[in-house]
Amino acid sequence: MIPLSTPRRLTHVRAGFLALTPLWLGAAPFGVIYAVSAIAAGLSPAQTMAMSLFVFAGASQFTAVGMFAAAAAPAAIIVTTLIVNARHLLLAASLSPYLRREKAWIRLGLATQLTDESYAIGIRQFLSGRGSAAFQFGANISMYLVWQCSTLAGVLLGRVLPDPAAYGLDLVFPLTFVGLLVPLLRRRDSQVVAVSAAALALAGALWLTGSWYILLAGVGASAVGALLRLQIVDC
Amino acid sequence: MTIWLTILGMALVTVAVRAIPLLAMRGEMPVWLGRWLGYVPVAVFTALALRPLAVTSGDAPHLMAGAPLAAGVVGGLVAWRTGNTLATIIAGMAAYWALRVFT
Repeated sequence: MIPLSTPRRLTHVRAGFLALTPLWLGAAPFGVIYAVSAIAAGLSPAQTMAMSLFVFAGASQFTAVGMFAAAAAPAAIIVTTLIVNARHLLLAASLSPYLRREKAWIRLGLATQLTDESYAIGIRQFLSGRGSAAFQFGANISMYLVWQCSTLAGVLLGRVLPDPAAYGLDLVFPLTFVGLLVPLLRRRDSQVVAVSAAALALAGALWLTGSWYILLAGVGASAVGALLRLQIVDC
Repeated sequence: MTIWLTILGMALVTVAVRAIPLLAMRGEMPVWLGRWLGYVPVAVFTALALRPLAVTSGDAPHLMAGAPLAAGVVGGLVAWRTGNTLATIIAGMAAYWALRVFT
């Protein structure tokens, strides 16, 4: 990759930032919902903001809030965060060939703000031959900005809202996961994993303490999927 | 204090999974590992969606088929048709409120 001059680099940062803006509509409501759920789960406004600022991973933040609400053990929350975010290993790994010649601190900086959305925007640009670390940085910072602003909005809104459960707002959390899950179920192997996860999660929720049902289903059902792929070549 | 330490731990493991491949990985990830990790979101989303919709909270959890589960089914149908998470939430909440008001 040819090093970019400073004006070119700024152009790429801006292009990456703007390329992600359509996704703000999808991200912003979830930042607000995350913050409102976090406050409802008993986190302070500062803790709610800190999780967005330093963890910055939507699905794992929702997961953690659900586990905080269920009074899960800290170790269970951290291990589940690791499991939910482990997919970032794949995203980062597939970006690494394009960023190999960048300085280590640039790669570390890009890594800390990598999300599904900014990865998708950035890798598409790399695949078309027009990508750069600067473009990826612009996409990352765009997502980071909207997530922090929407979390702050949710914190401010959440403090004046009455108990969300009184309005059935505790259902927003599981419904969000229904919405994230169901579009993934068009593939047969994902259906098998989901059915396995449902069985393990229900058994775990009924017979295990705390939130270990999430770990049981997360580790067990995905292993079923991987084993299935060993049996069936084209799945 | 426990919550702050938990958030710190979450931040550290999340930075680790994002940074380690970009800083250290030279070759390809083993295929089996990639496949296993690829199924984790489906498995975890299923568990997180199902427990609050189908199991009671409290000391003696048991299965329940009430308004929350109905809301989840309506939300699931909308998610299948639209692929839109916000529409899923809105439809599920609407179904829940309709059941609350009319039953």
